[in-house]
Amino acid sequence: MNAAESASVSGHGGRNDTISFGHTVLFRLPNGEVRSIKVEKDSIISLGRVGSFSAHELTGQPYGFAYEIHEKKLKRLHPRTMEDIEETDATNELINDGQFVQPLTLEEIEALKKSGVHASDIIKAQIEQHANYSLKTEYSKDKYRKRKEAKYSKSFETIEPTIHNICDYWFKKDQNRIRDIRSDSLSQMLNLANVRPGGRYIVVDDASGLLVSAVLDRIGCEGRILSINDADSPPAYPVLTLMNYEKEILTRVLSTLNWATAHENYTPLLTPSEPPSGRIRSERQRLRLDKRKSTSDMLMGTRQELFAGEFDGLLVASEYDSFEIVEMLSPYLAGSTSIVVQSVFLQPLTDLQARMRLIPHYLAPSVTESWLRCYQVLPGRTHPTMSTSGSGGFLLHAIKMYDHSKDFLT
Amino acid sequence: MWSTNRQVAAGDVVIIWQTRELIQPLLITPGKDFNSRFGHYKHVDFIGIPYGSKVGSRNGKGFIHLLRPTPELWTMALPHRTQILYLADIAFITSWLDIRRGSRVIEAGTGSGSFSHSVARTIGSTGHLYSYEFHEARADKAREEFVRHGIEDIVTLTHRNVCKDGFTVENSVDSVFLDLPAPWDAVEHAKKALRKDCPTRICCFSPCIEQVLRTVNALNDAGFTDITMYETLLRPHEVQHLPAPLPLSHIIDKLKKMEQNREEKRLRQIANASKRKREDDLKGLEADKRARTEESSALEDNNDQEGSTFQATPLASANVGFATDPSQVEAPPAKVNLAKASPEVRGHTSYLTFARLVPISNPTAENIEGDAVATSS
Repeated sequence: MNAAESASVSGHGGRNDTISFGHTVLFRLPNGEVRSIKVEKDSIISLGRVGSFSAHELTGQPYGFAYEIHEKKLKRLHPRTMEDIEETDATNELINDGQFVQPLTLEEIEALKKSGVHASDIIKAQIEQHANYSLKTEYSKDKYRKRKEAKYSKSFETIEPTIHNICDYWFKKDQNRIRDIRSDSLSQMLNLANVRPGGRYIVVDDASGLLVSAVLDRIGCEGRILSINDADSPPAYPVLTLMNYEKEILTRVLSTLNWATAHENYTPLLTPSEPPSGRIRSERQRLRLDKRKSTSDMLMGTRQELFAGEFDGLLVASEYDSFEIVEMLSPYLAGSTSIVVQSVFLQPLTDLQARMRLIPHYLAPSVTESWLRCYQVLPGRTHPTMSTSGSGGFLLHAIKMYDHSKDFLT
Repeated sequence: MWSTNRQVAAGDVVIIWQTRELIQPLLITPGKDFNSRFGHYKHVDFIGIPYGSKVGSRNGKGFIHLLRPTPELWTMALPHRTQILYLADIAFITSWLDIRRGSRVIEAGTGSGSFSHSVARTIGSTGHLYSYEFHEARADKAREEFVRHGIEDIVTLTHRNVCKDGFTVENSVDSVFLDLPAPWDAVEHAKKALRKDCPTRICCFSPCIEQVLRTVNALNDAGFTDITMYETLLRPHEVQHLPAPLPLSHIIDKLKKMEQNREEKRLRQIANASKRKREDDLKGLEADKRARTEESSALEDNNDQEGSTFQATPLASANVGFATDPSQVEAPPAKVNLAKASPEVRGHTSYLTFARLVPISNPTAENIEGDAVATSS
């Protein structure tokens, strides 16, 4: 394959790599804040203080670029590399807190902003007026400039919808809603469960769809996902929205059952798809009955698919009892496949492990905790980041074995 | 990649799981034997058996678990030719580099192929892995493995020193993974190999912080951005089934009894001493020896006589302890499941330095603003 061929616009694995109308896009603002906004046709995208621009400026653009807003138009920014900082003899010896250092008033700054002066010129003016700026160390000057940029810059960046980025976004936004699944734990779940293109997986996701999205992304929309949930109707997975998948792909790959319809000895109460009088009275009635029939056919088909078994893995992040879940769903797994259960608490997995190891068809249930440390690597300033997430949660992994064993002695 | 059939067939590579510490690959070759401390087997015994079965040995010495290889099992079972990458690092790198179905990936060096197998699984038949190894013998061994494992169509293995000679592809791959002693020497080559129509990613895997600093500088000089560095580990927890802790009242009662016994013993000794003194005074020194032989029986008498006075349990029971305590025999202590971090764990593998390469020129963007913000100092 040559370079021209590989440079196709649509992404591989069923994902869209360029922005189109209808996509929900993550925008990173200069202060680090991330906003999720749907890019609708003919709409104006407003990023608050940073500015606004017309949506069509973005469509057709690959994800992951940085822009500056100029009179409602976008200008791409060059990627920014780090600048080396020269050491000086400056210290904070002569800088005291609470001193009046900035004669430039808020009104003057506002006036500058209104006159359309570029962010860099406002910052320059502030530095020139700053009483103690020259006393600062070069590191401190750099921090000051960055802080001001975050405040005045009219730039932003679109975030690529990789499952890693989406997990990080949700983890920062509301980690409870994704059951505290951190990106490192999520990546371990996918690997431990041997998720691959074309595979068939049972997923129990009470994590707003993060696990379903991750498995979908990893199979590259080629294979099958059976998601078991506690909702009467198919669940809304808010995380999935950010993946911007075509609806057609989702209906082909993803099916859902709830805990009742996933029970073998339960007979779902299906609304009759035959007319009560024996004959169809109107076109509307026929459409309604057809729809009913296809819904119930689909449900029965999904049930049959589950009960036929031989799935390639089970991934669980659920609020319900994990032992019950594993016992109920592991019969539908093929031999030598993986069971992966996530929990933010250690105790439930401790009990799960203790119970599973007594049962011969679970091989080597083991409990691990994910540990991750992030570093700042600025030139001359490399150190672990000061605040960090305390734990990535716990995972239990086991291998499903068939119950029968061949004994050569008998 | 490996067999997808339900049953084991001749020519399959299987994983023989004996214990957590003893996991090994086996190429099923009819006519061959497999012997271990868990018994004697013939390879033909395994043919036709479903993957995921427990198989008993011919000589009744034990059993083994017959598993289908996965990249994760392969990492646990593979023959080490080099230091290898483990699950936590592999998973995190795959996630950060956004390696998925159809991805085109560069890896240097191949090493023992632990990362290669995982990437091949994840990208599938529509993706491609370009793997480079500068050690010829290791390259040959890895190539044999890739053929045996059915991933030779997904992986192109090249024997070359990429720091000197660069990669074999240009403007083509989605991500680059460098596990080299001097990754900074390969950064410019990596930049050349990465596609330029969308943002791409790189990861450098180095055990030492000095390597990280040099790599960061090289990445920055080459125009890579969003440079971050991580360490990731798995902390295994051991689950134990232990007796529930006893209530404090239990040990308080025990201590009280011990104290009582000690006091009882002290009083007895005083009584014995005064008795002996009386006898000594009475019979004189020549009778001393005879008196001492009587002491033990006197002690027993003492217990019988004085037991009611002290209302204490006999001295003997304090020594035996709680094993004979009737309340203990009746209600064995409840058990609880407790987990603790394994005492000896991997404390460090390598630092993972990540960066993005965002192309400067983009055919769809008309206007590209100069380095406006960066020059604003």
